[in-house]
Amino acid sequence: MNETVVNNRDYVPLPPPDAEILTTACSYCIVACSYKVYRWPVGREGGQAADQNAFGVEFPTFGAPWVARSQHNIGMHEGRPHHFVIIADADAEVVNPNGNYSVRGGTLAQKIYNPDTPTRDRLKYPQIRIGGILTPVSWDLVTDVMADISQYILSEYGEHAWGMKTYSYEYFENTYAISKLVNRGVGTPVYAPHDKPQAAEDAAGLDDAGINSFAASYEDWGSCDVAFLSGVDPYETKTVLFTEWMMGGANPGKQMIFVTPHRTMGVEYGIRNGGLWLPIIPGTDTALHLALAKIIIDNGWQDREFIDNWVNNRWEIESGYGRGTRNTRWQWRTTWGRWQSDWEDFQEFIANEPAAELEEAARITGLPAEDIRRAAEMIARPREDGTRPKTSFMLEKGNYWSNNYMNTASLASLGLMCGAGNRPGQVISRGGGHQRGGMSAGGGRGWLSPEKHPGRRKKALNVDRWVMDGNVRFMWTIGLTWFPAMLASQELASRVADMTVRNPNQPRSVDRDHLFEVFKERVDSGGMVLVDSDIYPVEPLNTQYADIVLPAAGWGEVDFARCNAERRLRLYAKFNDAPGEAKPDWWAIGQFAQKMGYEGFEWEESNDIFEEAARFSRTGVLSYNVLVREAQREGKTGHEKLRELGTTGIQTPIRMVDGQMVGTQRLHDPSNDWGEIEGDTFDRKWLYAFGTHTGKANMLKTPWTNDSWSDFYEAIKPRAEKGEIWITNGRVNETWQSGFDDLRKPYLAKRWPWPHIVIHPDDAAPHGIESGDLVEGYNDTVYVQTGEPVGVLDGDLSFSRLMENGHIRTTEGQFVAVAIVSDEMRPGVAKAAFNYPGSMANSVCHAVPDPVSGNYRYKLGRGVLRRIGESAYKDNFLEMSLKPRPIMS
Amino acid sequence: MTQKAKAEGVGQKHPCSAVSRRQFLILGGASVAVLATYGTGAGAQQLVSSSYVRTVVGKVSELVPGEATTFLYPNDDVENVLVMLGEEAGGGVGEGRNIVAFNTICPHMGGYMGAADFHAEHSVLGPCPLHLSTFDLTKHGMIVSGHAVESLPQIVLEIDGDDIVATGVMGLFYGYNQNPSGEA
Repeated sequence: MNETVVNNRDYVPLPPPDAEILTTACSYCIVACSYKVYRWPVGREGGQAADQNAFGVEFPTFGAPWVARSQHNIGMHEGRPHHFVIIADADAEVVNPNGNYSVRGGTLAQKIYNPDTPTRDRLKYPQIRIGGILTPVSWDLVTDVMADISQYILSEYGEHAWGMKTYSYEYFENTYAISKLVNRGVGTPVYAPHDKPQAAEDAAGLDDAGINSFAASYEDWGSCDVAFLSGVDPYETKTVLFTEWMMGGANPGKQMIFVTPHRTMGVEYGIRNGGLWLPIIPGTDTALHLALAKIIIDNGWQDREFIDNWVNNRWEIESGYGRGTRNTRWQWRTTWGRWQSDWEDFQEFIANEPAAELEEAARITGLPAEDIRRAAEMIARPREDGTRPKTSFMLEKGNYWSNNYMNTASLASLGLMCGAGNRPGQVISRGGGHQRGGMSAGGGRGWLSPEKHPGRRKKALNVDRWVMDGNVRFMWTIGLTWFPAMLASQELASRVADMTVRNPNQPRSVDRDHLFEVFKERVDSGGMVLVDSDIYPVEPLNTQYADIVLPAAGWGEVDFARCNAERRLRLYAKFNDAPGEAKPDWWAIGQFAQKMGYEGFEWEESNDIFEEAARFSRTGVLSYNVLVREAQREGKTGHEKLRELGTTGIQTPIRMVDGQMVGTQRLHDPSNDWGEIEGDTFDRKWLYAFGTHTGKANMLKTPWTNDSWSDFYEAIKPRAEKGEIWITNGRVNETWQSGFDDLRKPYLAKRWPWPHIVIHPDDAAPHGIESGDLVEGYNDTVYVQTGEPVGVLDGDLSFSRLMENGHIRTTEGQFVAVAIVSDEMRPGVAKAAFNYPGSMANSVCHAVPDPVSGNYRYKLGRGVLRRIGESAYKDNFLEMSLKPRPIMS
Repeated sequence: MTQKAKAEGVGQKHPCSAVSRRQFLILGGASVAVLATYGTGAGAQQLVSSSYVRTVVGKVSELVPGEATTFLYPNDDVENVLVMLGEEAGGGVGEGRNIVAFNTICPHMGGYMGAADFHAEHSVLGPCPLHLSTFDLTKHGMIVSGHAVESLPQIVLEIDGDDIVATGVMGLFYGYNQNPSGEA
């Protein structure tokens, strides 16, 4: 097909009755809708009569199943061309009943490798950069070279010079292999998952309260009366959770409160259905939570009975049996009780906290005081008959990517006061981003991190900074974009370029000895050898910088397993051939590890790792050990047993009750207490109580003014004298968790060919910016932390102290995006597309992590806007709609 | 039973269809017509379509700017909206290149969006009552916000004097694996 012709095929092939049907789940967002793959050989097609197609339905049909043209593709299966139809499972009983789907999952068929489509750029063989050009080589040579230089680096520079940064979610089989290599093979602390600079908690305030970030089930979001949605519109980013469970569910009449500066479609729906939009100033959620807490306490609206039963009192906090509270990660990061509280103490704190005063909170957050009061009434005020509204609290990146520890801790305390956390319709959970495919092999080397919390307590290493500071000689990245996903993106990318392509030692042939000598000189001169594994070229990581590029096989090309936001485990079936010599990442790791001389990496198939990792899952919330033991008893493989469970799968932790495998709908729920432990079930207290030493939750204080936040916030606010505004970032429905594939899908590539930025008319007008114009966002003061300061005393890691001690460098950053001018934004806040191919909006954000948790404040960019000119999309009818997102009657 | 009436059966796993098989015969050897060409030379982009029945679906003199009306095309099962937008549009006809027509059934899961769901201020149809998808009528029915994996099918129009003539369809109607041509 000629790409320059807009294909108007008004026809789609139907699967014949004997088409093979395989089950899988979506490749993208956390919801993980159920899908079916129909596969049949090229050469014939099904018909419109019910007995002529695999659906058993007459066409035209006016409900699911239906096949859109973008849901059909031609690919290879066992070396022969086949038709593939991939549609949401119309028979699904969970997640997406009746076959609901998002635009991302709905176009899964377009991700199948087919050289007639834009997927022709899939990586197909290992390559080494010779004279600047990526050159095909064999797997054998490339893993030899990786092992040669790694052994030299480990002996000469030690394990701190060898690092990895990889996805955390692309299936248990791959992440377990990565973890085993990092922790048990190389034994390095230089590891971070794709979405963080360090290997630590995402929402540490929840953890410290004793709440697992994914404790809820989708039914809870369906059955609540009120949903408090902090930094998230689930319509955009948990699509089917919203359209199926929140617009519907057991209580379709629920009220939704959205705390976000962007009025997207879900927000508009909420406003029109009895809800509330709180367009908050970025980073100030904590002040909102404090004010809500004060209104609730002053009116006595708290859930007294729940607090008495489920919140630690002062004696319980201090009781300290087991590990107690004295020497835990909670206490390390909050420096011994700084923000520790209990209900009596918390009330006193709120009564004396200036930011909890309604007028002060309204000033800090930029929200009308009456809206804050209204929100407090909605979430907590008992009804006239004395019953309480069932309120659930969801948080996502607008919350924990702006003021990480304080926002998560203060939301946990607010939710607990309202009686949420461990029962149906009353939960506190993340909504989630990517799926839950991380599995540790244990033995982490975090204790080797040179960074320390005050008191010299263990703190995870910031891998990006460790690289930028020139400490890494060998870096292996897998399945990520790295720079645009992290902060001060241009500065990070530029430093990596310095150490790789700009280093004078560049290979000139594919001779193994030559490659080793050149790379040896490279690393001895302070440079770095960079290996990147991916399914596609990634600009600029592997197209411009990586020395070695490895082709990966992914979704649909290998049998894999992972969980979704409600911990539902499914098999993601292999249904087509990976292109060329593309291999699963666990295979590449196995080859490399064996050449390094490490034992225990001799896996032959994906299921080998699934079964090996089962034992390591036992103590965690994603435990599937019981399933693998059952499979073995039945003489099956673990993957086969999981395949039998189809698109329903089973919710982890999997338990054995009365001889049957039973899933766990909700964590911390006392109704999970099943009495005698049976079979291979592993008993964990957080199954039926909170994840603390007592099983009761911890109240946490979050004073608005403190040395972990206030000085940083003052330094990074937009400066009126420079004409700056907030330039936050985020993703929209059509590209959520699918950005790596979107430009290979013709329809989505047309929808979003280039990153956009949504700007309020009041902010656009002074610069003459109209929808469709190209706009530069520019920040002349982007702060980047340097070095690995060791905290000794309280406040040693505060922004001011880091600045005094020379640990803050000032850089600059910019990006270019297509303007969408719309009043859907709060004035003074523009929102740029996050991590979308084309430009790096995070270049205007500061690479200075929250000193408490180590997480970045991703959303807190700022800068001036400058009009460049008209984009190619301004007067173009074929690409990039520039219409506002919330349009309703 | 119209497409709209049947769409109300969304959610049924095996919806009924009273439409006769005769109406869905595959268009064997259908000719291909170039509907519009954008740009010049090798980069030219063409919108192409198979043959459909030509039907007069309205009069230019009777159009009220910003108000949508409905018509049936290419057969009596398929309902579409006809609108004169306040701005130029892809595939738009008439002096202002702003007269366009689109199918009323959301290509996500078959929700119905009729004339009342047209928003003149933004030239958008929707949101779909099922899951809130919206469609940009200036960009060939492209999704603005939502879930449809295809643009809203666009009815190709021509102007013949005062007549607005439908001549074809761009896109596959929801529920169909082959568009009806409207030929008897």
